[in-house]
Amino acid sequence: MKRTLAQSIRLYLGVGVVCAILIFPIYWLFITALSTTLELKALPPTFWPDPPQWQTFAKVAEERPILLWLANSTIAAVGSVVLSMFVSVLAGYSLSRFHVRGGNSMGLFILTAKMLPATLLVIPLFSIFRSVGLIGSIWSLIIAHSTLIIPFTTWMLKGYFDTIPKELEQAAMVDGCSPLGAMVRVILPVSAPGLAATSLYAFVLSWADYAYARTFLTNSQNNWTANLGITTMRGEYVTDWNEIAAVSVFVAIPIVVIYLFLERYLVGGLTAGAEK
Amino acid sequence: MANISIRDVYKNYGTENVLKTFSLEIQDGEFVVLVGPSGCGKSTILKIIAGLEPASGGQIFLGERDVTDFAPGDRDVAMVFQNYALYPHLTVRQNIGFGLKMRGMKARDIERRVVDAAKILAVDSYLNRRPKDLSGGQRQRVALGRAIVREPQAFLMDEPLSNLDAKLRVHMRAEIGALHKRIGVTTVYVTHDQIEAMTMADRVAILREGEIQQIADPDTMFQDPANLFVAGFIGSPGMNFIRASPTDLGGSPAVELFGLKVPVGGRQIGKTGNLIAGIRPEHFSVGEGEFTLNLRPTLVESLGSEKYVYFDGGDNLVERAADSEGEVAKGLIARIGQQGRIREGESVPLSFESENLYLFDADTESVIR
Repeated sequence: MKRTLAQSIRLYLGVGVVCAILIFPIYWLFITALSTTLELKALPPTFWPDPPQWQTFAKVAEERPILLWLANSTIAAVGSVVLSMFVSVLAGYSLSRFHVRGGNSMGLFILTAKMLPATLLVIPLFSIFRSVGLIGSIWSLIIAHSTLIIPFTTWMLKGYFDTIPKELEQAAMVDGCSPLGAMVRVILPVSAPGLAATSLYAFVLSWADYAYARTFLTNSQNNWTANLGITTMRGEYVTDWNEIAAVSVFVAIPIVVIYLFLERYLVGGLTAGAEK
Repeated sequence: MANISIRDVYKNYGTENVLKTFSLEIQDGEFVVLVGPSGCGKSTILKIIAGLEPASGGQIFLGERDVTDFAPGDRDVAMVFQNYALYPHLTVRQNIGFGLKMRGMKARDIERRVVDAAKILAVDSYLNRRPKDLSGGQRQRVALGRAIVREPQAFLMDEPLSNLDAKLRVHMRAEIGALHKRIGVTTVYVTHDQIEAMTMADRVAILREGEIQQIADPDTMFQDPANLFVAGFIGSPGMNFIRASPTDLGGSPAVELFGLKVPVGGRQIGKTGNLIAGIRPEHFSVGEGEFTLNLRPTLVESLGSEKYVYFDGGDNLVERAADSEGEVAKGLIARIGQQGRIREGESVPLSFESENLYLFDADTESVIR
């Protein structure tokens, strides 16, 4: 059906408003980083600083170990993604393919773990990590983040595997693969969009964490993740919001870049199963 | 190539018995079709032979080897699936060569055999495409190529044509038949389409609710069905079934049918009991004959070369087990050539011969010979 001009205008207007709502916080973060402290306090607010304070980025990069924080965040996030994906690929595949007694209840039990608030797990995890000497180590974050990520990614992947016909691995097994071989050689490559979407979800969850990092990485500033680093920039009497915004831009960049690269897979992964 | 010997195999899911104990000897190079309505257990048999499902009991032999406990990949069989099951991330070349690669064959030998198989199936010009870039018929050929390239002991085909449109199905049916003649590999073929079964098979096995009803060559199956189910399943349209009762005609046994007394020859029908008489639609003809009924057609379907004429058969018609519900409501069906004009509502003389009458025991459903 062809749209009339009026319909097109309404459509683009609607899309424009939604985009504006979604983009405004990012724009405002960027503007905050480029403004002086005085401009930030001005009423009415300025929507483009004059002149833009580009040097703020250089200043925070010089004064704070941002690259180190970003590296720590990356190690924690990549570690959590690898660990969680390893567990949840096997768990999700098993839940999807093998019908064992109590399998459904087990699946639901895993999902209830996701419903527990992160703060509820902080104290027992802290106690466990202290007894095994992991407090202050990035491993504490990798393990803690995985406890949050695995339940959800297991279900996400189970849903994805359910959409892949069983005949594919049956064909692979008749062709000479073991059940594990069929999964690795056929099912995983076919599931690439689902794996990409799930990995990204896991990455963002770990990247965005604050509570666990605050609790487990208490010692040296060199161990902090980026999110933890940002919060320490709030002073007791004075807070340089432009500097916090500048560091926040640095922290947001990796996520934006990953989204741009994986966008093609993500759309496929999130809509999988919508059509047969 | 090898013969397949299925000995006392059965299958239970929990407490439910989905496949009753059966044995089947398939000769080397034979083309056996398992046919039956959906849910009758025919695909389960195929999966048990392939090793994709374990049998609850019994043994499977491929040639001299007892493969009952072998993994699917160790049985040396190839399978073609209903939805083709091509690996979407691999090219046609890689799809066909996958099984050879898994067996550790050298790349050069794989390439040679893939190209040979692709030429046989006329897919050699698509070797670098992925399955999504192929049509349904081409995908089916690639799936067949993946099976033949391994030169297995047996082919197992699970409704391989049911996703194709009617015209292509007829074409591929002939191609599979020709392929079987050319390479002569023992083949077990599953379908719910009795026309596929009749046209392709050396022998047909008909299943119903996990139980084999009859194993025979297509002509025997059609002319000498073992029971009511087989008689109703084979033939298109299916056989008409009418309730009948034993009677006497001048001292010889006969059955009473539509108020007529029809002699049954030497068949042992007893003096009492319920019988079901069967007449194939093509055994009716228009005009006077040995036994003639005057009936008014309720529906006339012309197929060009012939007509399907439906009559109100009264309350004595019996439903065919293989049919979908309500089929019997259409009435008695006659399949007749273009013999003049037949109009709905106008009385027509419809005749049949006593020698074309089948008789079944209404209780056991077995044929009475």
